[in-house]
Amino acid sequence: MGIIEVEGLRKTYGNLVAVDGISFEVAHGEILGILGPNGSGKTTTLKSLLGLITFDAGNVRLKGIDVARNRTGAVRYAGAILEGARNIYWYLSPEENLIYFAGIKGRSRRSVSRRIDQLLETLDLEGVRDKEVREFSSGMKQKTALACALVHDPEVLLLDEPTLGLDVETSASVRKMLRSLVRNDGKTILITSHDMSFVESVCDRVLIIRQGRIVSHETIASLRNKFSNKIYSLRIAGTGADSFAVSIGNSRQAAVEPSEDGSVQLSMRLEEPMQLLGILRDLERDGLSLLDLRVVESSLEDIFLDLMGKIWE
Amino acid sequence: MGIVSLLAAEAMMTWWSMKRYMFNTVSMVVVMYVIFIGMFWGVKSIAGPGMQEGSLDSMVVGYVLWMSAMFALQGTGGIVLEESQRGTLEQLYLSPLGSEPIFLSKAILATLFNFFFITVLLYSAMLTTGRYHSVNLPYFYGMLLLSLLSLNGIGFMLGGIGLIHKRINAVYGILSFGMIGLMLLPVYPFTPYSLLPFLAGARTINSQITGNASFPLWWYLYIAANSGFYLGVGILVFRLFEKRARKLNKLGQY
Repeated sequence: MGIIEVEGLRKTYGNLVAVDGISFEVAHGEILGILGPNGSGKTTTLKSLLGLITFDAGNVRLKGIDVARNRTGAVRYAGAILEGARNIYWYLSPEENLIYFAGIKGRSRRSVSRRIDQLLETLDLEGVRDKEVREFSSGMKQKTALACALVHDPEVLLLDEPTLGLDVETSASVRKMLRSLVRNDGKTILITSHDMSFVESVCDRVLIIRQGRIVSHETIASLRNKFSNKIYSLRIAGTGADSFAVSIGNSRQAAVEPSEDGSVQLSMRLEEPMQLLGILRDLERDGLSLLDLRVVESSLEDIFLDLMGKIWE
Repeated sequence: MGIVSLLAAEAMMTWWSMKRYMFNTVSMVVVMYVIFIGMFWGVKSIAGPGMQEGSLDSMVVGYVLWMSAMFALQGTGGIVLEESQRGTLEQLYLSPLGSEPIFLSKAILATLFNFFFITVLLYSAMLTTGRYHSVNLPYFYGMLLLSLLSLNGIGFMLGGIGLIHKRINAVYGILSFGMIGLMLLPVYPFTPYSLLPFLAGARTINSQITGNASFPLWWYLYIAANSGFYLGVGILVFRLFEKRARKLNKLGQY
């Protein structure tokens, strides 16, 4: 049984179907990423998990509690960042924000004072604990929002676009922090994001949705195995290199690009890596030279675009 | 225990907000005072010596009560809109204690903090105009808090409407000016106007301060019932709009 369970979730706005019967589970200590183009239903799904949106059909349970029937009971176990750093009070300091958010979760200032110190220290906010959040950079605001989501020590963390507006360095530090929350504190995290490299590096599994439907639901590794396309790029030279490249190109739909120095660049996809051996043997047989060989693996972004493209076709 | 922590957090939040926006709050009270002084001397000079002393006294206290009413009306409704505008509204809905205790405690605490400014305004107005009366402060605060709960109920209704329609400032404008006229209506002994929110309590406080009037127990019970009714209806209406806002995904939108 997952700590987050979604069965047949469906949400419509008039004639528009935002989420169309999706089902998934997130296990304890797992990070699940939800990817999808704008308007695909990512945020609607996340907000439905918190009962901030009432859905038309389906079941959503957080730690076994039915969100539709007992919303306040379920949200006890969750912390969330919903609109980036807008979710906190900018005219207050990080410490004041933390005390306030702990209070509305029913935690007294005394009971969370040690946790507040820990969070401020872990998130490098100790030195600015008394400064107004409005003076902070986007990264520091985001860290404060993360601290607020964690102040009551929730088991589940739901993050809507957590890296929106962050620079590369801060995004990397958020990534590190999330991994540590799972590894060291046993948290379960659900992330919606447009940031493919972030999702790729931080998530265990990815749910790709489009028009409210699940297009793919895989671990990052199996997504790569199933959909990744390795591009083999060979630069060859010698008499007859161009005709050799064209003959390979015709049989394997490879791209052939002559260079100014007389060599030819041959880029292709192979069904099996072993097929490369045959090509290299033919190359040797024809007395041609191999100047360079590169294997480029598709990123999650390539896979995502590829999947979306296939669906549109 | 959870609710105590919530109240403590809300009290701290109200204090922090007051501190941050102290200049704004103080200048608002000063402006209110200046407007009142202008109005008082204007009315006095137009009415001439024929104006009854009691009417002038009622005007001083009535103005302060009207201001309290404005603060209370702005309370819940204004808070919901402010939180929505800031982007923090949805976070409040992630409280396991529910949103209503949060909004109600915010409104009541804001009213209690506003008592300080109202008291300052009351005494400044009485002293400057020479219409001084000794005020039984515990009675004044108790009655004010009790009768303002009815307006907190109206505030809940406006807050609910605000969740869906967002910009409802015009309604506040109408209510603010409408309230001036309503507070002049006769409500004691019981009249149909007594059924309106806050009016019975306001008249009682005014008469007690200016004329040391006393009222029977049933009248106080009626004021409590009136407040309870409007607060209850306000919360019910708020719930209906809140349900609709969650259906339309409007909580996080502004």
